[in-house]
Amino acid sequence: MTTGSMIDPFTREIVKDSLVAIGEEMFYSLARTSMSPIIYEVLDFASGLTDAKGQLLTQGNGVTGFIGMLTFMVKNTLDKFGPEGLHPGDVIILNDPYGGGGSHLSDVGLVMPIFHEGELVAFAANKAHWTEVGGKDPGSWTTDSTEIYQEGLQFPTIKLFNKGEINQALIDLIEANVRFPNLSLGDMWAQIAGLRTGERRFGELCSKYGKQTVQASIDFLLDHGEQVSRQQLSLLPAGVYEAEDEVEDDGFGNGPFPVRVKVTITADEFICDFRGSHPQVKGPMNASYTALVSSVRTIFLAVTNPSQDVNDGVFRPLRVITDRKSILSAERPAAVSTYWESMQFGAELVWKALAPVIPDRLNAGHLLSVCGIILSGVHPVTQEPYLIVEPSVGGWGAGSDMDGLAGQFCIGDGETYNVPVEVAEARYGIRVDEYSLTADGAGAGEFRGGSGVIRTYRTLSDGHSFSGTFGRHEIVPWGLNGGLAGSGNVIEIRKADGRQVQQLGICARVPLDQGDVVRLITATGGGYGNPLLRPADKVLADWKDGYISLEQARDLYGLVIDPATGHLEQITAARAALG
Amino acid sequence: MRIATDIGGTFTDLVYVNDAGEIGVAKSDTTPGQFEQGVLDVIRRSGVNPYHIDDFIHGTTVIINALTERKGAKTGLITTKGFRDVLEIARGNRPDLFNVRYLKPAPFVPRHLRLEVSERLDYTGVVVSPLASAELKAAVQRLKAEGVEAVAISFLHAYTNPAHEQEALQLIAEWWPEVQITASHEISQEWREYERTNTAVLNSYVKPTAAAYIDHMEQRLTAEGVNGRRYVMQSNAGMTSFRQAKLTPIQMVESGPVAGIFGAAILGKWIGEENIIAFDIGGTTAKCSLIDKGEVKVTTDYKIEQNERNAGYPVKVPVVDIVEIGTGGGSIAWIDEGGSLRVGPKSAGALPGPVAYGRGGQAPTTTDANLLTGRLSLDNFASPASMETVRQAIEEQIATPFGLSADEAALGILRIANSNMLNALKLVSVRRGYDPRDFTLIAFGGGGPLHAAALARELGVRKVVVPFASSVFSAWGMLMTDLRKDHIQTYIRRIERLDLAELNGILAQIQESGLQAYLDEGLRREDIAWVRYADMRYLGQEHTVKVIMPEEDLTAALLAELSSQFHEIHEREYTFRLEGVPVEIVNLHVSIIGSVRKPAPKPLAGHGSDASDAHTGTRPVLFDEANWLNTPVYNRNKLQPGNEIEGPAIVEEPSSSVVVYPGQRLAMDGYGNLIIETEVHSR
Repeated sequence: MTTGSMIDPFTREIVKDSLVAIGEEMFYSLARTSMSPIIYEVLDFASGLTDAKGQLLTQGNGVTGFIGMLTFMVKNTLDKFGPEGLHPGDVIILNDPYGGGGSHLSDVGLVMPIFHEGELVAFAANKAHWTEVGGKDPGSWTTDSTEIYQEGLQFPTIKLFNKGEINQALIDLIEANVRFPNLSLGDMWAQIAGLRTGERRFGELCSKYGKQTVQASIDFLLDHGEQVSRQQLSLLPAGVYEAEDEVEDDGFGNGPFPVRVKVTITADEFICDFRGSHPQVKGPMNASYTALVSSVRTIFLAVTNPSQDVNDGVFRPLRVITDRKSILSAERPAAVSTYWESMQFGAELVWKALAPVIPDRLNAGHLLSVCGIILSGVHPVTQEPYLIVEPSVGGWGAGSDMDGLAGQFCIGDGETYNVPVEVAEARYGIRVDEYSLTADGAGAGEFRGGSGVIRTYRTLSDGHSFSGTFGRHEIVPWGLNGGLAGSGNVIEIRKADGRQVQQLGICARVPLDQGDVVRLITATGGGYGNPLLRPADKVLADWKDGYISLEQARDLYGLVIDPATGHLEQITAARAALG
Repeated sequence: MRIATDIGGTFTDLVYVNDAGEIGVAKSDTTPGQFEQGVLDVIRRSGVNPYHIDDFIHGTTVIINALTERKGAKTGLITTKGFRDVLEIARGNRPDLFNVRYLKPAPFVPRHLRLEVSERLDYTGVVVSPLASAELKAAVQRLKAEGVEAVAISFLHAYTNPAHEQEALQLIAEWWPEVQITASHEISQEWREYERTNTAVLNSYVKPTAAAYIDHMEQRLTAEGVNGRRYVMQSNAGMTSFRQAKLTPIQMVESGPVAGIFGAAILGKWIGEENIIAFDIGGTTAKCSLIDKGEVKVTTDYKIEQNERNAGYPVKVPVVDIVEIGTGGGSIAWIDEGGSLRVGPKSAGALPGPVAYGRGGQAPTTTDANLLTGRLSLDNFASPASMETVRQAIEEQIATPFGLSADEAALGILRIANSNMLNALKLVSVRRGYDPRDFTLIAFGGGGPLHAAALARELGVRKVVVPFASSVFSAWGMLMTDLRKDHIQTYIRRIERLDLAELNGILAQIQESGLQAYLDEGLRREDIAWVRYADMRYLGQEHTVKVIMPEEDLTAALLAELSSQFHEIHEREYTFRLEGVPVEIVNLHVSIIGSVRKPAPKPLAGHGSDASDAHTGTRPVLFDEANWLNTPVYNRNKLQPGNEIEGPAIVEEPSSSVVVYPGQRLAMDGYGNLIIETEVHSR
């Protein structure tokens, strides 16, 4: 269909679309065969293709947090082995957070070089959250580690397959060092299946169109991404914007730790300078530079073009600057197991800095924290050990023309699914007493912040253990343009004897016995605009639906409602004053 | 006499088969607001004597329309204490990952109409606390006072023990006999409370609409003398009685599209092809589905309003597994910010429609590209625009920005459209481990015949069939259906711990109740059959694969056979197997089929291969690599069984045409189907 280097624009387009389709196919192949809820429900993984130099071509994502991390994995592989050290049938495994891995040890990356007619042409790569990689606590991530050696097995960019031959010693080693080897190795095979799919499809593409055409299409794909980004960038108001915030706690009662950004937008650059943020800390709330970059990429896409295909070209105008060894750019051997609590500030700070100037693209603050928990123990009926590792949904902020969403995962998650109550009760043998909206009326505004939720776990036998980290516990989601702040994320522990009730933002290995209850309460998002400007019919409906109280209707929205009829009785002076 | 009527957006189609096995078709305008009028019109137009209609089968978009236009009833929900917000929290997912202004689908029941009552079962179905009937009564009074017209009941774990839902149903029926009610277990016996609750809610939401619609239809049919058996087409590719359709109208949600897929399966049986890819190109979308060994695949993963940017609403009823993409005849070609040519998902629709329609459409579409390249002719349109207008639209909006000619741009639009469609076709075939060379492509809908041959070649399919009734193919599919009910019961057991007696007992019970229901409807025992499946997975996985179970009671040996089939299918679909990992059953699935008598088709005798009587002229057609070729044109209505045509050729239908590429060969078979042998060689 094409000859030489003269490639018509439509062939180029079709090859480009095929690459995206391959990315999707790799993604679903992994999701559908994984053994762990964290992968198939939370979709806590990413997969995709890079070119022979490690430039990302296409990435299928379940969560936003991994955006662009595949690039770092492939570049790390190339740095270590060089193209000459890679062969058909090789698979490389890595999870070094400070190097190619980028997040924490639980996220295990696999990289497969793809050859066509003997030449290295591309890489297939994926990175997935294994439920278990060993370490001091079940579920591997923990809220009170102080160095990486407590956080599980480290895979320092080594060959899992050598020319198609599996490294059995490594498999045996994994099997001996993780708590649920079936899960971890099952996920590993699911990842390998995903890579093989990518390898096969990329090979077919090269055979059909020729290597040269594919290469030309790749260049076009990357340039196209860059072009779209730059065009969108030119629509943003040039200037320098700053924001500050705090990471609350490192799990040892230290903190809060200030973090800050200076965003510079020019005609063709988007520079995020995080210098001046707090140095790396004792507990595991440290993010590596790679993690920070991924988080910044998320918000960069949100403000430029959230709907486009993602590749390395898109990010060419983006620059991320930090100090060394900060809480946002930690170095070995800093503990990083709950890295997301600080990583999320990469997106959050930029968001907060820019929301006032582009309110048509960015809403008020949301729950921000992943609100991750680990609950482990023995199923009281099957007597088998179980492990819950899951994020929580909460409230999002309101915007210039919309109320905030209720019960959604934070920006760092994405096509993430909560675990159905019926599934959780059967699989773990615990009882869920409640899964409801908090409807606390926080985040008042002309547009109202979305409600957080309450999910209550009750243990039906002795000997369970609970850990959780709920950032934005005391420093609550911010309001915008006169909208009020939301509410915080809270872990509430109630012992069965009724005497002890604790409200926490972070905890490690809290023992739970029969009848003990953990209430997971998540934040309501920030409001947008003056609440007194919210139309009366909406306020009445909010009250009727129980999203706000009678008192809130009066004190925040300036409307006195007759609870018997639900009708408006009176407008307060404050509201009347606004006309 | 058996007739099927299918209400579409523009036309109401009818297909009949009389006792001599002769098939006839008719079309009339759809009459929105009074759909039954269109049905009566088309019956009249077909010349069928109403008194001779033994079986009347009906498909309609009225349910999906009520849902997407939000024109259903004011609905209330009664649910387990602590869980009324499950409907609003939903699954918390955000498919539009990087859009921080994502709009989550709003629940169909607002919060003040979602009421809770105390009651609780554990996950094994054991009662933890009884149903508090006083609270239920209070909830009912509240909903009554709010003017609610329909109620859904959904309690936790009702899939495993429906006792509390049944109790609530009974009490509400007593207290409030006029309200429409749905309990979740009546629609779905699968776990996952959000999905089941939403399904019950949507069923109640459309129940009054469905009841009014079916009652009207019934009255009008009776008045016209259509007194035979009356059925409605369901999304599981089977039909059901009017009475049942009023109870579970949500089962009708995809009745039209699935009928076409089912029709392809039946047609495949007639012509001796049991591996089929059914492909339906309409105005705004293309749909495809794979039929493996004659079997139409059914899943309960269906969602309405779902796309890559929107989570949509789950409907846990059995629906034929269809992949749909936003590329059809009316799809608009455009250039994005980065200078890439795209086709769809925006469509010119029927109004204004493609530029070629001459109704004021300005944006070039797939149809316009088909016209400019000679695949279609101006005669295909009622009051077309001039060729020059079409050329100009493509030239200005697509060709000039790329520095190409209008011809090259039109070909480009077709290549991009084909590439989109090819991805959908691969999704149902190659990506699930099937080799397209083992399949026949059956193409229908307005665009099917135009694109099928090119797609078959790309995909590696050897044979393409454009069915004899391709313009009314959904109605034809309905005509060929049987009664069908799918019972899917969540039943989570590891294979090695399975209690065979219990399992066989449950299966027997499901079959027995299905059997009885059909006997009650007057079917004969020998006309009732079932197919049994198990949804299986490796322990710890979430997604399942469907494995056919043997017909007889399961034994240890048959179970081992089932396991090995599971490993095999898993490996085909996902490239690997895990021999050492325990295998688990998640759902039992029994399809109960009540066969109804259908007149046998009558193939016509061959008239020899000479097609010259149908030859109407020649016109230049732009084929991919061969440039403009002077191409013979034939009139489909004048072709006779046995006629053969060498490609390149165009076979014209009133509103579409069949494109045959150079090197391909077309023949008409005894049923009037057009069979294209592609140049793809067998393995």
